[in-house]
Amino acid sequence: MQLTRPQLDKLIAGVAKGDESAFAELYQATSSKLFAVALRILRNREAAEEVVQESYFRVWEKAGDFNPALASPLTWMATIVRNRCIDEVRRKVPRGSSDETILENIESGDEHPLVGLERQEDVQRLLRCMDGLEPEKKQIVRLAYLDGMSREDLAAKFGRPEGTIKTWLYRSLAQLKGCLEQ
Amino acid sequence: MTELDDIDGLAAEYVLGTLSRDERAGVESRLGSEAPLKAAVDAWQRRLTPLADTITPVAPPPNLYNKIRAQIGLSAHVISLKAREQQLTKRGNRWRNAAVGMTAMAASLVGLVAVREQHFQKLPTQFVAVLQAGEDKPAFLMTVDTKTHKCVITAVSAPKKSDKSYEVWMVADKLPGPKSLGVMSEGDMHVMPMTDGPDTAMFMNATFAVSLEPEGGSPTGSPTGPVMFTGKLIQATP
Repeated sequence: MQLTRPQLDKLIAGVAKGDESAFAELYQATSSKLFAVALRILRNREAAEEVVQESYFRVWEKAGDFNPALASPLTWMATIVRNRCIDEVRRKVPRGSSDETILENIESGDEHPLVGLERQEDVQRLLRCMDGLEPEKKQIVRLAYLDGMSREDLAAKFGRPEGTIKTWLYRSLAQLKGCLEQ
Repeated sequence: MTELDDIDGLAAEYVLGTLSRDERAGVESRLGSEAPLKAAVDAWQRRLTPLADTITPVAPPPNLYNKIRAQIGLSAHVISLKAREQQLTKRGNRWRNAAVGMTAMAASLVGLVAVREQHFQKLPTQFVAVLQAGEDKPAFLMTVDTKTHKCVITAVSAPKKSDKSYEVWMVADKLPGPKSLGVMSEGDMHVMPMTDGPDTAMFMNATFAVSLEPEGGSPTGSPTGPVMFTGKLIQATP
């Protein structure tokens, strides 16, 4: 079951005070999402487990620093997980050795019908704005954000110089920002 | 059409994740001192994180929660063992169930140890600890013999992790922090002599933990990686 923003805020406030049942509930409500985020970037269950473990440990230690005015709890936690994952994949070159079965499983879930029904307003708004991008640019933004691809990875995949990818990214991100501000 | 200035562009690419390792480190070193960059990064996190919500959730392995709890437990130990005791009594069902599982597992092993030893030992001098994650099969087995003054740790089942080593720690209230008992790989057996008296008592009351460290062991002398296994010694002979 999806918890609402106020429920998650309350749980984080509990964790900040050392409330262990709040921590357990927060884990229950968020761990499948965060594990999926890590698995998609790292493409390795063992590595994803480690990142998620370290991230929850950080959540436990840093919950007092969480500022609900800056981000939702999910944004804050997903940021911790993604930062660790991206640091991890940038540490190793080149990307390869992916577990293809894991990849297939998670990529097939992109347009998950259940998720679609429950999608919150901010998700729907972002997806509408993403649909305004040219298909190739939209794919590049997704591959960067969800799969953790660097400019270099994207240049290799699309057979374009890095400079071109950078220009595309800047234009796409600017267009998204404009669209989201409407 | 919206244009991104240098700061906004850098923040956007940082959040999107397309920067190189050096460029990322550059942004991170500036976040603490440059408020406009920090604000731009926060705004891009809010804009883009909804994308993470479009992935189908994948349940993590069931023992992951216990590993996280164990890591929290060990860090609490370092601060205060008393606080840890209070935490333990307050723990929820999930943790209690794991503990019941662990005790049952330990009890079955104790049975084996006890049967093998009963012809030779009459006094309660054998102690055993099973270091494991949640309800998994045992990973490390520790036995203490107070008669021969030996502590033996065996890595029963310790899946090999590339570039990483398992390090065994003892946490006791007499110690200022976790004490390393050595770096181990699967099949390894470490024999450690103990002095009689206070040393033995400390082993009996200590909590043992195994953390995942960089290859060759912790570079700092304290656990730096995630805690994989924990356990305490229990009496193995009547």
